[in-house]
Amino acid sequence: MHNVVIIGAGPAGLSASLAAAAAGAPVLLIDSNPRLGGQYWRMSADDFQDQHNQHFDLDTGLLLINAVKARKEIEVWSGAQIWSATNKDGKNTLRIIYQGKERIVNTENLILCTGAYDRTLPFPGWDIPGVMTPGGVQSLLKGHGVLAGRRVVVAGSGPFLLPVAAGVIKAGGSVVALLEASKSRRWLTSFFVLLENISKIKEAFYYIKTISEAKVRARFGQAVIAAHAASNGELESVDIAKIDRNFRIKKVQNIKCDVAAIGWGFTADTSLAGSLGCNQLVAKDDGVVVWVDGEQQTSIPGVFAAGEITGIGGSDLSMAEGVIAGISAAKFVGCNVEVLKAHRKRRAKRQRFANALIRAYPIKPGWKSWLKDETIICRCEEVCLSDLKHSINELGATDSRTAKLLTRCGMGLCQGRICGRFVVDLVANELNLSPTDTDRISAVNRPIITPIPLGVLALGE
Amino acid sequence: MSQFDIEFTFDDNTITASPGQSVGAALLAANLRSLGQTRFNKNKRGVFCGIGVCFDCLVVVDGIANQRACIVEAKSGMKVQTQVGSNA
Ligand SMILES: Cc1cc2nc3c(=O)[nH]c(=O)nc-3n(C[C@H](O)[C@H](O)[C@H](O)COP(=O)(O)OP(=O)(O)OC[C@H]3O[C@@H](n4cnc5c(N)ncnc54)[C@H](O)[C@@H]3O)c2cc1C
Ligand code: FES
Repeated sequence: MHNVVIIGAGPAGLSASLAAAAAGAPVLLIDSNPRLGGQYWRMSADDFQDQHNQHFDLDTGLLLINAVKARKEIEVWSGAQIWSATNKDGKNTLRIIYQGKERIVNTENLILCTGAYDRTLPFPGWDIPGVMTPGGVQSLLKGHGVLAGRRVVVAGSGPFLLPVAAGVIKAGGSVVALLEASKSRRWLTSFFVLLENISKIKEAFYYIKTISEAKVRARFGQAVIAAHAASNGELESVDIAKIDRNFRIKKVQNIKCDVAAIGWGFTADTSLAGSLGCNQLVAKDDGVVVWVDGEQQTSIPGVFAAGEITGIGGSDLSMAEGVIAGISAAKFVGCNVEVLKAHRKRRAKRQRFANALIRAYPIKPGWKSWLKDETIICRCEEVCLSDLKHSINELGATDSRTAKLLTRCGMGLCQGRICGRFVVDLVANELNLSPTDTDRISAVNRPIITPIPLGVLALGE
Repeated sequence: MSQFDIEFTFDDNTITASPGQSVGAALLAANLRSLGQTRFNKNKRGVFCGIGVCFDCLVVVDGIANQRACIVEAKSGMKVQTQVGSNA
């Protein structure tokens, strides 16, 4: 019998597992990846190659991973996909596909550390093979030792573009353009926050060194606004544009490439928390995150959350939150422990850094002007912008939920994970309204966490 | 980079992979960027998110459709096929 069930083995889940186990609570740690480490410490199979090459600080990750493996109070289920989670009368029921079979885990004490995925914005041609997310390009490098293409454009916004560009260069590819949509100067306004988070600055310079040695110069205030396919239907070139403060196009240039890695920060994966019924809220970057109190407890007593799902803030903040969640959950099941002042201070410091990041990389509404009527909005259901407009202007949809029902936008296999966030903005824009928090939160509602092929379920019987 | 111990087929091609690599990663390493075609417009699609979120990389693996190439681990003797639309 496990006292604490932890979902997600990234920086947050690993830290939470160790803290709970150290306090005396037996832990079951579940993750769908075949290996521990989450997104930040994603690794390839053992003995595959020198894993450090693609990492800034793999040593911390290995330290945590090995500590988790060494503690006998922690049972690990890797490669276990949770596809359904429900909460009834204080009991949480998880349905999990593990080793080809369906397992059911009932628990009162959960820590959710399900992380985040790349935030995307649509643009003409973003569905062409070769257009990817930066996280996708990086996971191929870190997890599989594969460079997605030789000539790579890295674009979008946020500090995550740096490790991706550096990773491509280290793997022998060439970064033909590195474009940051925001202007660089905003950083100076957060000087104090930078000083108290000096390790993060070191990390940035570590990537910048690789990038500048390869003679790649980041261009600020520029973005990829369209992608073009060759006759074989695969990516051949992208249009890059100088954009103004509101992301409106000023001047366009075409550039040849094999891969375009384009991302706009991250979106928290709150599907599991949402289906349990945890309260969610809209963060400053307009993303939906899980609400937690100072002990990392969600609105459901006994259910805790840590890491990117409570707000995008990077691996250090995830670890700091994970420790607090682990201690709080252990305390909840009767262990004699307390969250220390030092834990809270560490979390606060890293939270200030996360807030500064959100201020430094704002996504401005002008991206909508890059779209054409025939631009795909929902990749799964192949809904284009004109379909969405039709549902509003001809069929009378007055909110994103109705527009979704009328077009099937966001109702495909990914369940709106990719388009849900920006469809709310597109629909509101067409109606000349501002999206409400209710609009944003209802867009992340997912009854099933991950659709699984029928063949797999049949095996479980 | 490392030894290629694994061999599987993708339609008529033989593809090699290293232990632990996903089907999608091995196909990209072989410079195969298009994995399937969409249901309605028959547009080509490939690996997009790379971490199992977007469902763009769907392929048929040993007769079972709708498998995400980016997360299915390559195994020797696997028969992987292009997926057209929602089924093979
Ligand atoms: C592809 C990608 C690459 C990134 N690379 C970097 C980087 O290089 N540097 C950086 O600073 N930040 C990076 N980030 C940001 C990253 O989110 C954080 O830095 C950090 O990894 C967050 O830690 P976490 O513990 O909150 O979540 P994560 O590390 O995202 O871990 C969440 C874990 O939960 C598991 N999970 C989620 N849902 C389920 C489910 N239903 N069933 C089973 N398991 C589930 C996932 O498999 C995952 O392993 C990256 C993010 C992504 C998406
Ligand atoms: S590329 Fe997104 S699910 Fe495979």
